Amino acid sequence: MPRILTRENAIRWAPFMVLLALIVLFTAINPSFLSQRNFARIAIAAAPALMVAVGVTFIIVMGSIDLSMEGVVSLTAVLFCFLMLALGGTLASGGWVAIPVILAVGAAIGLVNGFIHVKLKIPSFMASLALGFVGTGAAILLTGGDIVKFNDPTFRALLTWRILGFPLMVYVAGLCLVLAWFIQSHTRLGRYFYAVGGGEELAHASGVRVQHVRMAGFSLAGFFYAIAAILQVAKLGQAESVTGSNFMFMSITSVVVGGVALWGGIGGVWNTLVGVLIVAVINNGMVVIGLPDFLQAAVLGLLVIIAVILSTDRRAVAFVK
Amino acid sequence: MSTFIKDFIERETVNRRNFLLATAAGMGAMAVPFAFGGGAARAAISDPAIAWSYRDRASAYWNSVVSGGEAFVESLGKSKDSLVSLINEGSSEKSLADIKAFLAKTGGKCAIACDANDSPNARPVVEAVRDAGAYISTIWNKTDDLHPWDIGDNYVSHMTWSDEKPAEQTARILFDAMGGKGGVVHLGGIAANNPAIERLNGLKNALKDFPDIQLLDAQPADWDTTKGTELMASFLTRFGDKITGVHCANDNIAYGVIEALRAEGIENMPIVAYDGNPEAVKLVMDGKLLATVFTNPHWGGGITAALAYYAATGAFKPSEEPKEHREFYGPTVLVTKKDAADFKAKYLDAVPSYNWKDFWGPSNGQIKYK
Repeated sequence: MPRILTRENAIRWAPFMVLLALIVLFTAINPSFLSQRNFARIAIAAAPALMVAVGVTFIIVMGSIDLSMEGVVSLTAVLFCFLMLALGGTLASGGWVAIPVILAVGAAIGLVNGFIHVKLKIPSFMASLALGFVGTGAAILLTGGDIVKFNDPTFRALLTWRILGFPLMVYVAGLCLVLAWFIQSHTRLGRYFYAVGGGEELAHASGVRVQHVRMAGFSLAGFFYAIAAILQVAKLGQAESVTGSNFMFMSITSVVVGGVALWGGIGGVWNTLVGVLIVAVINNGMVVIGLPDFLQAAVLGLLVIIAVILSTDRRAVAFVK
Repeated sequence: MSTFIKDFIERETVNRRNFLLATAAGMGAMAVPFAFGGGAARAAISDPAIAWSYRDRASAYWNSVVSGGEAFVESLGKSKDSLVSLINEGSSEKSLADIKAFLAKTGGKCAIACDANDSPNARPVVEAVRDAGAYISTIWNKTDDLHPWDIGDNYVSHMTWSDEKPAEQTARILFDAMGGKGGVVHLGGIAANNPAIERLNGLKNALKDFPDIQLLDAQPADWDTTKGTELMASFLTRFGDKITGVHCANDNIAYGVIEALRAEGIENMPIVAYDGNPEAVKLVMDGKLLATVFTNPHWGGGITAALAYYAATGAFKPSEEPKEHREFYGPTVLVTKKDAADFKAKYLDAVPSYNWKDFWGPSNGQIKYK
């Protein structure tokens, strides 16, 4: 009989245990935390953030970093609203065309990001940060600083139509998560991400076209950012040049808290799901238990550090940079 | 040792005194040629260059301020481009550096409208303008101890907006809609921002007259729509049906609150907001918002530039004006359902044309310090 309580297992399940512990803690202080309605609220808050975090997971698994998410989400959200309105303003009137177009735009921006990083040999940190600023700037240029409202009831059904108490957008996010898991575990591209993240020279020597894998990874991330943008528009009924703000902190924190190692090769989209839920539960729970606002930022920071300590196998790496 | 230090200080003091005396003598000599010609004419600049110094172009608010400035320069028969934008991007250092560069470029023959970005930056800015012999009017940021009449004619005026009273008015409208009883939550701006503090204070003032209404909680939503939805969702878990009214610190937060309630299928929650943005006015007309407050940034942008310009040309002399014309509150217009349509027609559908020589008509009395 294999031992269940190994060190490896403990670390693998640590993020999930942290999530359960948080739920128990918040429920103990305010029992109304543990209700289906509250879980639906947490799920709505987490759905767009999950898509951003899943996108950046592929990049982090490769050992790179992508910081373009805020600009890309803002730009694709604004473009999505403009395109929808130009196509008649409703899904039924032909506006659905905007969805594949915007997903393609997201992937194309990601490809440009990857191209700048790989071909111009600029570190991914800098290339993606710069491209993110370009995205925000373009969104400001398009909107002139104003808000674009988009309120087609059919499209907003993503928020308002509930199945088993959860809005449609939560199921859409779930399906996209399964798609991401499939790419990660059942495609050659997914395995190459791990190969590149585990040891780039080795992957190269084994015949993996590392540059192509990197560009494909950034393009895939851009695709998921565009999904996040569409869900965010569904959630808020509007887009503006700040629609993507806060996603950078939220997604990178979630990925790390979930147990994906920033040095690459370790973790995957399920870790990211747990990480996003941990951050969303903390954000919701702090208000639900009535924590004073001046303590919230500090408590969030502390909980993140604790979660990272518990959920990453730091003995496995020689040094942390 | 101590004598050495004493001697040193003495020597340095004497040196500095000599230096100052020499400088004063030099300056005096320089001033003599101007004593007969330049002095009197200095008060009037025939065609001053005009600049607006402000934070950024990514917000509806500042865009509206600049549109007012442009409307003013067009009223002088100039092109829009003749209004110079000095964008500080949220940096006080850049704000001061840009203004000094503009003063140098125009040789002090200019009129500047300015939000100094933060309060302490206002003093170096207005002193630089005075030393160059130019004219400036400021809005929003200045410290309480800095007054135009202490600096002189070159610091023409300061305008700010008091949010406490209008926020109290919106709270009263909210409480009446709640039937004078129940629970209210406040979703605020960034906690340390002055308008955020004033808008919460306004709510608290109104609460004193409504003993049956309880303030359940007040938390910051950082002026942000996304934060607004998530905070409202958490409030719903914590207080549930006890929430019978929502007081928002600005329109953007209110948009988020409405979406959080829409997700729950809650349709007719009484909500009030602040800022009078076009989308919010439309929500007031649709009955989704009870009230919002408009501060007329277009007028503010135009009149601030106009005050500096006409003081520079000598059309009026600031020191001859009463104090309430040097430091005053800007206009606030309460927008409720019954006047929203009129308001939209008057202010939003077509930008009204203002008389830019009526400096103080829409203003709201002298600034009071606590």
